Amino acid sequence: MTEVAQLAIDARSVTKVFGEGALAFKALRGVDFQVEKGELVMLAGPSGSGKTTLLSILGCVLSATEGQVNIDGTDITGLPDTTLASIRRARIGFIFQGHNLIASLPARDNVALVLELRGVKRASALAAADEMLARVGLGDKLKSPPADLSGGQRQRVAIARALAGDPPLVLADEPTAALDAQSGLVVTELLREVAKERGGTVVVVTHDNRIFHLADRIVHIEDGLMKTEDGSHA
Amino acid sequence: MNPMPLETAAVPRLVRLRAMGRLGLRMMFHDRLKFIGTISGVVFAVLLAVQQLSILFALLNRNTQFVDNAGADIFIVPPNTRLLQPGEKLHESVLYQARSTAGVLEAQPLVFAAATLAKPDGGSESVTLIGFESTSRLGAPWNIVGGDPRNLEQPDTIFLEDSQREKYGAVNVGSTRELNNHRIRVGGFTWGLVPFGPPYSFADIDLAREVTQVAVDRMNFVLVRVQPGMRLEDVRDAIAPRVPEALVLTRDEYHSSIVTTLLKEQLGMSFGISTSFGLIIGLVIVSLSMFSSVLDNLREFGTLKALGCTNGDLSILLLVQSILYALFGSVVGLGWVTNVVEGIRNPLLVPIIPHYVIYAAPVVMVVLCLFASTLALMRIRRLEPGMVFR
Repeated sequence: MTEVAQLAIDARSVTKVFGEGALAFKALRGVDFQVEKGELVMLAGPSGSGKTTLLSILGCVLSATEGQVNIDGTDITGLPDTTLASIRRARIGFIFQGHNLIASLPARDNVALVLELRGVKRASALAAADEMLARVGLGDKLKSPPADLSGGQRQRVAIARALAGDPPLVLADEPTAALDAQSGLVVTELLREVAKERGGTVVVVTHDNRIFHLADRIVHIEDGLMKTEDGSHA
Repeated sequence: MNPMPLETAAVPRLVRLRAMGRLGLRMMFHDRLKFIGTISGVVFAVLLAVQQLSILFALLNRNTQFVDNAGADIFIVPPNTRLLQPGEKLHESVLYQARSTAGVLEAQPLVFAAATLAKPDGGSESVTLIGFESTSRLGAPWNIVGGDPRNLEQPDTIFLEDSQREKYGAVNVGSTRELNNHRIRVGGFTWGLVPFGPPYSFADIDLAREVTQVAVDRMNFVLVRVQPGMRLEDVRDAIAPRVPEALVLTRDEYHSSIVTTLLKEQLGMSFGISTSFGLIIGLVIVSLSMFSSVLDNLREFGTLKALGCTNGDLSILLLVQSILYALFGSVVGLGWVTNVVEGIRNPLLVPIIPHYVIYAAPVVMVVLCLFASTLALMRIRRLEPGMVFR
């Protein structure tokens, strides 16, 4: 593994092809994408532009067909599944479009679970989870199962889960998609606030322009290519 | 920020395993309908399999109970004997050879023959008449529910099977009947001594010889008690060369011979199939329930993979669920089956659930549930963590 410490994300010439032969579809066409540590970057673009594919590759849940990807100084290209799982576990926090909380677990256990997966003992994991949920304004909902929470509250639990244990990188896929405008704004503000105070790097995939002002930088992607400031393909 | 290095992330595996186990438990109880469905599969598998086995053991016991309860350590039987049936008769010299063998405490003759009991209304019923030396306890009746066994020392007195009283024409202690045209008096009753053939009845050996026309120097079996402290096998080996015209078996050997013969020739196939069906039905139900549970929670499993769970971690989750399903289901199933077999208990069929079956059932169910979970596990293994972004 090559150490490239300055950047949280350093993806170069990333190509992703789905399918083979005549059915092959190029979702990413030699994308370069760098994010500095502590930055909050929003990846914007129309549906099918390749932004979620890029996020999946950065999240080590999908392999690039070509190119090189460094996450927090680790070259993830060609790593085996178990190592990728280990990177996801230790270094990446995820926020999904549909919150994806475990229905059978109360809020605090949903948050504590990711810490336990990292090897944090249960008592410490629960204490950290309680603290994190209190930070996102859910200190009184620790024992509530997801079914008893509103959409906004669930997404706050998802933020707490993503940020618990201070992972160096947080990846969010359309975190406001299932929320109304006000809740979406509140949730994203909270994500920015908590991530900034903890020094985390955040990449948010979104096409919700109401939250763009919260980004340090907005990167547009279209047809699998990054667009430059003037709108031409990079 | 101080990110957790990759190397240490793999070290506290025990914490992760515990977390997975706990999560498996929570997921199991969360979907109560699936939980009940899966547990029902195990319960029915236990119920069907153990109930079939209990009947199998009942049927085997019907045919081995005399050997088990006759009080003999060693049986001298006609050659080629495999079951407890009247066959070629032994000469009394066999009895004397046994009695004169070192290590033998007591040897007694036994007559074992079919007889016909005439009913007052003109009909008749077959019985298996066991004639034993009434001054000894070798071959004497057991499970006595009426009368005094010492009554058998009285002339022309026999014990009959209690469950057949109505068939024999509402007999009671003191009733008289004709057995092979010989007038006898009923001296008592036994309960549940019914082999595959006609029910056992007991009489003094002299009466049995007279009724069944067995010569005084002939007998069907010789029953032997061994002196305390002597090894059965040593005494058996000492008797055997002295009676080359007979077969000498310890009680356990004779018991095993009967069981093996019945399993090979009659019962094994039919009960093996029915017991297997019970297990297969359970396997299918558990397998489909667990698979369906995984399908219902596919997004959650995908999320867990995205969060860093490996296939191994998720296998632990399923492993915990499988074991718990097996144990819960076994406890309920065994509780249920003991009541069921008690309900079907009658003198002709006394279901038996040996202790080892009770201990083995949860073990078999754990294996079955683990096997059943492979379908679910295969689905989880194929699950791409990237599905959470779709």
